Amino acid sequence: MLSGYWHFTPEVLVVCGAFAALFGGYLPGKDRGAAYAAAGAAALAAAIVAFGGTGGPIVFGQLEPDSVARYARTGLAGLTAVWVLWVAGRGMPGERRREGVALALFATAGGMLLSMAEDLIVMFVTLELATMPAYVLMGYRRKDVSGLKRALDYFVDSILASVIVLYGLSFLYGISGSTAFSGLELEGSGMLGFVAVMLTLVGLFAKVSAAPLRHWTLDANAKAAPVSLAFVSTVPRVAGIVVMSRLILAIAASAPAIGILVGVAAAASMIAGNCAALSQGDLRRLLICSGIAHLGYLMMALAAGTETGYGAAVFYAVAYAVPSMGVMLVVAEEGVAIGDFARLASRRPWVAWSMVLWLLSLIGIPPLAGFFGKLYLIGAALQAELMALVLLAILATLLSAAYYFRIVREMFFGDEDEQVGGAIEPSHAATVALALCAVATVAIGIGAPRLIAALGVRFG
Amino acid sequence: MFAVELLILVPLVGAALCVGVGRLSARASRLASLGATIASAGVLAFLAAEGIFSGVALEGWRVARDTVPFWDLRIDGLSAPLLALTALTGLVAVLASWGEHNRSSVHHALLLGLQASVTGVFLAADVVLLYVFWEAVLIPMYFLIGIWGHENRRHAAMKFFIYTFAGSAFMLVGILMAVFGIGQTDISMLVSGRTALAQPSLVFWLIAIGMLVKLPAFPVHTWLPDAHVEAPTAGSILLAGVLLKMGGYGLLRLALPISPGSFAHAGIVFAVLGIVGIIYGAALALVQSDLKRLVALSSVSHMGFVLLAISAGTERGIAGAMLVMVSHGLVAPLLFLLVGQLYVRTHTREISRFAGLGVVTPRWGSALTFGALASLGLPGLSGFPGEFLSVIEAFGAWSWPMIPAMIGVVIAAAYNLRAVREVVHGPPAEEWRALRDLDAGDLVPVMLLVAAIVVLGVCPAIVLNMSGDAFATLAELIAGGV
Repeated sequence: MLSGYWHFTPEVLVVCGAFAALFGGYLPGKDRGAAYAAAGAAALAAAIVAFGGTGGPIVFGQLEPDSVARYARTGLAGLTAVWVLWVAGRGMPGERRREGVALALFATAGGMLLSMAEDLIVMFVTLELATMPAYVLMGYRRKDVSGLKRALDYFVDSILASVIVLYGLSFLYGISGSTAFSGLELEGSGMLGFVAVMLTLVGLFAKVSAAPLRHWTLDANAKAAPVSLAFVSTVPRVAGIVVMSRLILAIAASAPAIGILVGVAAAASMIAGNCAALSQGDLRRLLICSGIAHLGYLMMALAAGTETGYGAAVFYAVAYAVPSMGVMLVVAEEGVAIGDFARLASRRPWVAWSMVLWLLSLIGIPPLAGFFGKLYLIGAALQAELMALVLLAILATLLSAAYYFRIVREMFFGDEDEQVGGAIEPSHAATVALALCAVATVAIGIGAPRLIAALGVRFG
Repeated sequence: MFAVELLILVPLVGAALCVGVGRLSARASRLASLGATIASAGVLAFLAAEGIFSGVALEGWRVARDTVPFWDLRIDGLSAPLLALTALTGLVAVLASWGEHNRSSVHHALLLGLQASVTGVFLAADVVLLYVFWEAVLIPMYFLIGIWGHENRRHAAMKFFIYTFAGSAFMLVGILMAVFGIGQTDISMLVSGRTALAQPSLVFWLIAIGMLVKLPAFPVHTWLPDAHVEAPTAGSILLAGVLLKMGGYGLLRLALPISPGSFAHAGIVFAVLGIVGIIYGAALALVQSDLKRLVALSSVSHMGFVLLAISAGTERGIAGAMLVMVSHGLVAPLLFLLVGQLYVRTHTREISRFAGLGVVTPRWGSALTFGALASLGLPGLSGFPGEFLSVIEAFGAWSWPMIPAMIGVVIAAAYNLRAVREVVHGPPAEEWRALRDLDAGDLVPVMLLVAAIVVLGVCPAIVLNMSGDAFATLAELIAGGV
């Protein structure tokens, strides 16, 4: 039974990195050295997952390091490595780096386990492990009272979502008598099964900030430090999306109503997210709102309830998170108001062009990650004949081009006379982190057909 | 054959080189970009020697690589003339922006990027690859208009992007429906497996919307005057020269072959849109006070002929559409080039402020007169054979309702001659007494286009020979009906 335990090597590495960061005071280079050590651990973990093999169920079938988990874990560890590298270069606002880095790595370890979860109990425990550190990161600036208040809001709301999920899970267990995903059987459970599925999903949707319970994310996140947001809105979210997709696929066959539930939530997320994003002047709010919309596209594929939709959704989770992380990190450098980006193209041309790359990927322009992501999502939805959702997604994408291009416009054609804050100190670590995001955005796009094939998606 | 791929790779490498050597000097990056466009024209000449222009069948030259997903290129009769056009206008665009001093290395890199993407559209044999290049065209054009354009550039850049992106979004749904309905991404396999489509008409119209916006057809043409007027000269040249042709090409390459049965009802729609476009564009051009806007609106009118010619659905009709496209791809860049050269010297495009430029700047004046004559379809120049064929074929297909198209031809003569009369003829305006005429450097791109216009006018068979088989195959598909 112990034979499969080597699959945990990356998670162990990440946890070791977290401890190294915690005790960074004893490392050479102290605070910064701690961050570098942690970034190295995360990067190594990503490499091990990417080049390591996949396997069947381990730990009594509670975890399964399959190809989907391999893709998600590589993405999670890689995103964390980029984020920590950036933090090593630029620091956390107003505080030491190392606790923040350690928290992020603990969350990553939780997220990596979560994306292998094949069992309700493991899922819930690792979901908490992946999201708990986020509460602290959101209120990382101790002296910022309003930020702390919002972090507390975030904590309470997120716990509420967890409790709803747990309540739903208890029904699922009660109906099917098993906690394993493979043992979930809702056939003939009638209204009770519907309630169980609805509770679980609504809670999970709230966790990954999709409609209907999405408002709290916006309120709680809108004043957080952008650097915290860059992590919280990507890594734990990707992990949540992966396990949500797994769970939906597992129960889709025996609970047909799930397609309608997910489809309605997808449509609501697309509409609400895009409409809210249109009028935002604060880039944090804009990106959070557009994040809700992206989740809507993703759930459109999940509404299909097929293997194809599942693979496409998992692919899109990372394909969305990478450019999103890049944009958020630049927001952390430049400022949260859209006016802060005026003439970025003449001040920092390479950063501006990288921003263009990420924004285009978020819109879904080929050959970037986001394009192929949306291609597979739409493909999965078309196969399931969800024509209405597809047309809605296309319209939503058009709308999204309008607000993403506001940033491009500001960067390239903004008013020159507007005086924006002083020049940013050069930082090699941060530059490398941004460059990695840019390269990954292109690489995921170009490698998309192969990645999606590895996820087991077959079209046609 | 690797040379086919070089058509895309050479401009791309040139673009990277432009940015790279741009730090050394602006001149170096200009030379790099000129070198790249000449090299890609050279590659095309090499391929011409191998016989790509000799009129090969629809399944002509192919390069597919398993290592790169969806990478599947093909040259055939439909793409060959447009590839030649792209190479020529790319070269002209680089020469036209020789005097650009504002971030010239990035400017040239974007021009080359644009050339690579458009070439990719014409080469793609895989529908996903085609879409990738199709969208990639938007990005360099957006920045060319937005950074180097005139006063109202930001608005025009955004409008251009939103319109064409909206069109291609519908096109994507259509493409995906076809791909998942048939289970292939290869265009020729899509065509041969088209009977598996559940809703061919829906697929056709979704794809056609994207093409009609790009062409542009009335009533989705409104992005074009703004984009053309605000774009820098090189941008207008590429926009008019090749970007608009993507619309016509897409209809012939993708929309009609995948669902030829839809032609039964689409033909009449195309004919109506074509005629409205011809007359509406020409009428608007007649009352413009801005010389560049006049040229831009004449494009709407000319593209109406493309649609009209396609609506006939016959072999000669399709040939006419191709001829109009190639001809307009030579004439419109010539006029934009001349207007741009005038603007650089005078900083105005107001027709009413000019008079008698034929006396002050005889070389420029003669070139504009030549361009106007070509644009109104003078026999012997490139505009005539295509428009003639399209009107004749449309008359054959739809008979007397085609008479309004002839009115469009008359208005075309009116607006072109009006421009010549106001700007070139008459006593010279005092304001421009000291105006500098075109020098040798300015004349190179002008003469390239003039030569091509004359050659195509005298001998339209050049294009017809390249693509005869392709037209016949298409006409058979349409006649077959399913």
